[in-house]
Amino acid sequence: MDIELQAMDVSPPHSAGWLTRMNAALARTGMYVAIIGLMAIVAVVFYQVFGRYVLNNSPTWAESLAIVLVLYVTLIGAAVGVRDAGHIGLESLLVMLSDSARRKMDIFIYALVGIFGGCMAYNGWVLGSSVMSYTIPNLHISEAVRYVPLVLSGVLIVLFSIEHIVAILRGEEVKPSWN
Amino acid sequence: MILSITFFGFLILGIPVAFAIGLSALCTILYEGLPVAVVFQQMMSGMNVFSFLAIPFFVFSGELMLHGGVADKIVAAAKSMVGHIRGGLGMSNVVACTLFGGVAGSPVADVSAMGAVMIPMMKREGYHADYAVNVTTHAALVGALMPTSHNMIIYALAAGGKASIGALIAAGLMPALLLMVCNLGAAYYVAVKRGYPKGSFPGWDILLHSFAAALPGMLIVVIILAGITSGVFTATESASVAVIYALLLTTLVYRTLTLEKFLAAAAKTVKTTGVVLLLIGVSTMFQYLMGLYEVADMTGELLAGISSNPIVIFLLINIILFLLGTFMDMASTILICTPIFLPIAMTYGMDPVQFGIVMLINCALGLNTPPVGTTQFIGCAIGGVSVGEVMRSITPFYGALFVALLLVTYVPAFSLWLPRLLMN
Amino acid sequence: APMLSAPAAARDFRSADIHPTDYPTVEAARYVGKLLAERTNGRLGIKVFPNGALGNEKDTIEQLKIGALEMMRINVAPLNNVVPETMVTALPFIFRDTGHMRRVLDGPVGDEILAAMESQGMVGLAFYDSGSRNMYSAAKPYKTLADMKGAKIRVQQSDLFVAMIQALGANATPMPFGEVYTALKTGIVDAAENNYPSYESSRHFEAAKYYTLTEHAMAPEVLVFSKVAWDRLSKDDQALVRKAAKESVPYMRKLWEEREQKSKDVVVKAGAQIVEVTNKQEFIDAMKPVYDKFANTPKLQSLVQRVQETK
Ligand code: NA
Ligand code: NA
Repeated sequence: MDIELQAMDVSPPHSAGWLTRMNAALARTGMYVAIIGLMAIVAVVFYQVFGRYVLNNSPTWAESLAIVLVLYVTLIGAAVGVRDAGHIGLESLLVMLSDSARRKMDIFIYALVGIFGGCMAYNGWVLGSSVMSYTIPNLHISEAVRYVPLVLSGVLIVLFSIEHIVAILRGEEVKPSWN
Repeated sequence: MILSITFFGFLILGIPVAFAIGLSALCTILYEGLPVAVVFQQMMSGMNVFSFLAIPFFVFSGELMLHGGVADKIVAAAKSMVGHIRGGLGMSNVVACTLFGGVAGSPVADVSAMGAVMIPMMKREGYHADYAVNVTTHAALVGALMPTSHNMIIYALAAGGKASIGALIAAGLMPALLLMVCNLGAAYYVAVKRGYPKGSFPGWDILLHSFAAALPGMLIVVIILAGITSGVFTATESASVAVIYALLLTTLVYRTLTLEKFLAAAAKTVKTTGVVLLLIGVSTMFQYLMGLYEVADMTGELLAGISSNPIVIFLLINIILFLLGTFMDMASTILICTPIFLPIAMTYGMDPVQFGIVMLINCALGLNTPPVGTTQFIGCAIGGVSVGEVMRSITPFYGALFVALLLVTYVPAFSLWLPRLLMN
Repeated sequence: APMLSAPAAARDFRSADIHPTDYPTVEAARYVGKLLAERTNGRLGIKVFPNGALGNEKDTIEQLKIGALEMMRINVAPLNNVVPETMVTALPFIFRDTGHMRRVLDGPVGDEILAAMESQGMVGLAFYDSGSRNMYSAAKPYKTLADMKGAKIRVQQSDLFVAMIQALGANATPMPFGEVYTALKTGIVDAAENNYPSYESSRHFEAAKYYTLTEHAMAPEVLVFSKVAWDRLSKDDQALVRKAAKESVPYMRKLWEEREQKSKDVVVKAGAQIVEVTNKQEFIDAMKPVYDKFANTPKLQSLVQRVQETK
């Protein structure tokens, strides 16, 4: 997971199974959605300023909408971060291990990350269901939309972790979807 | 207990920090027999804060400036101005971060904005990534003491009206200057030790030219500063204005931003946002558990039983705040610790305004310490280095901050002279 | 680390509050715990977590529902979208004065609203005071509707409060509480509104010195128990908890009045100007569209009518 990996001189072959093809497509789509979301957040907050001065009427939905959208952007970005090995970690004792021990360790790490992703998805579902009938103030949509990205991101993290484990077992490497 | 053991266990295994925190929170909540959903609720709640929108915005405007070539023009100007001093880019980074801290009002926003521009630039100019990250993350801490600091407001709220915000704002200026000077010292020390380059002075003609070319880019700081201080927009809104300005500047004025570069900037922003806000989210899980275990309360009781000497007590408070700050985020450290430590500090004769500044510096320090250091994480994410790598050259910078902290703790005049001059 | 030990013993119910440890609502919840402990020889008790240690008010609603938390003190405003009946107590000018509010909340209407929470996984125990909310502004006092026409007024994220400000002819500007001080100071917003203790503790009086007694809302605080945890209690214990909660109300009100007076003294001493409105009726008359929009079911309309009929 550490960033050093990308700097290695001899890189193993890239994985290319059906899971990889599907995940690559998912990651790309996710990134486009997140970029559109990012632009929307900028537009919404900018419109808040515009509304206050030009229309002399502050849009009351702007703040609510912006902080819902940022959850989507964040959690998609976090999931793609798992696929592209972009998360920050301590440099561990792993560097001192032998190659095979290190591979086993990496599999264990991705398994734990995948478990966490599974918990995200399941509990996002639980939380979303419990607030389904309430509406977000000034937005008039269900509170559940706040938890949808948790479910989506959890599912993506599980898929990306499995992909990494499969790739490690085959001695391959997952090619980052976005550099 | 189980929280800290599992956390350090996961961390040592090399699991990314965000997932190590999340997994240890999961283990703890399972151990307590509480519904697991509650930690995920806290995670979402921690990310769902309007003021945090400034993070993606400042990262985005920085990335746009970077991919649109604006940053290069600024670095050219900075280099022609101070490049002939040893480690000149590091020194100008410190000053720039300090100035920008007055705009952004939070170390996190400061490091997002300045780091996105300065760190890649310094790397390109031959500085080591760890130095670039350390200079930026430490200089950015000044943001907590500058007039637009949200955290000052949070402290004033937590102090329950014992410290006026006006006095706090005035009180922060001198220590901010002190921090900047200490940071400059550390940046220079490391630059000399590592033998970083000092170029030759390019002459006034080139200086003026490069300055004129960079001016529209630097205007973004003026727009933000003028916008916030004149009350045109809030800090978060100003960040969105910065993005719009960066977009217009790079597409219409400089005409350097292609669709491809725009997508690259946006994608990088999404990833950085994902990494950083996920960390903030899982830190909120951690804070919930610390609240449940009343870690802060117990610490307060423990302290009262140890000593009655003000010098010892203040030192202990500093150490405890620092240790708590290593795990917690600024706002929650302030909110949880102020009600416990402020009465103790006041009993031993410390002014609530001075205590606020001490608290803010301590919490800011915590932003640059593993395991949970938001500013450090952002710096590392931007610099593409690991926390471990950055820790190797951090000592002079920590030293500089500790000197500043001790001066502010034991010399009340640093924080109280200016407010007394202005307020009475 | 030796600092970490087990949380409070299992017999103690955990209760969440966002207010500081010496706030009247926090003290009142502790008082409930004290009564319970006395009456059960320590078998039952309450451990209060103040300062938002367990999350913000909205967080604690969800925690209560899934049984991660036994009790909470919360304002009715964040409950409005969850339990519509609570809206009635937050409507502008619904209560004529503090006495009227207390008679309503202590009576059958209050009990009916508390009971309505049950369908959402919450057991309403008692209402506490939150004082009356008033407008405070930097440039001039808001004595008449004309004074606040077009003014940018900060409100909390609530449909009801936005509608109320709009009905007063002003420009409702939702904004996080932490940004309000700076926004008042720099003029991003012209005014905000809150009760005396919040006006004082937030230091907003430094940035907006005119405190106009519009008394536009008295949205009370409420003590709520988790239905999941409630169903695990014996009938006798449920009765004990209810009784102790009700008995904490007079205790809380006494603390509240002291606190309100203390805050008032602080802001007046610091130079805040307390101003009366010229004609409160014009404010009340302007609220017609708000009532039409929010008291929009026969049930809510009947509740509103019964509140107004309460002497
Ligand atoms: Na830290
Ligand atoms: Na921290």
